[in-house]
Amino acid sequence: MKIPRLTLAALAAATTLALAVPAPAEKPEAPKIGTSAPDFTLPPAAGGAPVALKDLLAKSKAVVVIFDATKCPYAIGYKGRVADMGKEYAGKGVTFVTINSNKTEPAAEVAEDAKKNGFAFPVLKDEGNKVADLYAAQKTPEIYVLDPKGTLLYRGRIDETHEDPKNVKSPDLRNALDAILSGKPVPAAETKAFGCSIKRV
Amino acid sequence: MNPSRTPARARRAVSALLAALSLAALVGVETPAFAEPVKHLKPEDYQSRIVAGRKGRVLLVNFWATWCEPCREEMPHLVAAAKKFPSRDLAVVLVSLDSQKTGPTQVPKFLKEKKVSFVSWLAKTRDPQDFIDTVDPTWDGSLPYTLVYGRDGKIATRLPGLQTEASFTEAIRKATGAR
Repeated sequence: MKIPRLTLAALAAATTLALAVPAPAEKPEAPKIGTSAPDFTLPPAAGGAPVALKDLLAKSKAVVVIFDATKCPYAIGYKGRVADMGKEYAGKGVTFVTINSNKTEPAAEVAEDAKKNGFAFPVLKDEGNKVADLYAAQKTPEIYVLDPKGTLLYRGRIDETHEDPKNVKSPDLRNALDAILSGKPVPAAETKAFGCSIKRV
Repeated sequence: MNPSRTPARARRAVSALLAALSLAALVGVETPAFAEPVKHLKPEDYQSRIVAGRKGRVLLVNFWATWCEPCREEMPHLVAAAKKFPSRDLAVVLVSLDSQKTGPTQVPKFLKEKKVSFVSWLAKTRDPQDFIDTVDPTWDGSLPYTLVYGRDGKIATRLPGLQTEASFTEAIRKATGAR
């Protein structure tokens, strides 16, 4: 079959154009409940040896990954709760870890904020929001709970209000952790995190 | 007070004020909506009070909060885009997800500062997830979030995240059928 010269020229032009325009980077899909959460290794905001998720998993009954912020009023409202729960659940074999992926909040500020709020667990800095991208995390605070194999068991919010903790009626993270520790299914494995958007590069 | 005893200076001031008000009425100056206090909106009233209030127009609902940086950033773009369409074609409503504690003061303050005159509501819910799921179950809760409803009251376009004047304009244009 003879292909007209004009058609060939148009095809060649289209191919050149297609090669010249880079395909948009694929947005990673959020890990689904019951699937393996992405591994990561990040430096602590205060400096020191990098912390690997797999090492935290190896010594824990569950790991709570919290995407956090220093300036977000919503995240600030939860600081006390996060500090208290981190201490309380450490005694039950659960490791809390916060990750700051905001380009607007440098490591030194994150370390200072963690110290001020009494965070007694790893506080990591995610330069370039690479881990936030892997988890498709969008907000602060946004929570991911993993079992020792790294399987995602809960994703979402801490509870329904960042204001007075005495008014909490739906302690979703606490419910998830208590269920996991007692070997029961998580009652609400997915809730909608609500808060500030992660400031990406 | 007896008007005949009013000092001349006060009488002149009152006359000037009345003249200014008359002139304002003649040229169609409106009292800005941002002077109004924020209205409270329960999730169960969203359809009846917001969507049904469009009266055959395209309706753009912008969900935002004063603590949300990208929400504050996109507000001037929304104002600029809305100006391109007559009010017979487009209604714009803001729904803030600020808390009940800070919203009643922070929302009108921000809108006044930025000279934003859209009708503004404050979500009245103790659980934001209830509100989010009632408005649009596909919304993941991120702010800002914008819904554009067609004249038929159905969602025509969802605009998650930070928008520009161009993206707002395009979505409204599509829904209104304007060229």
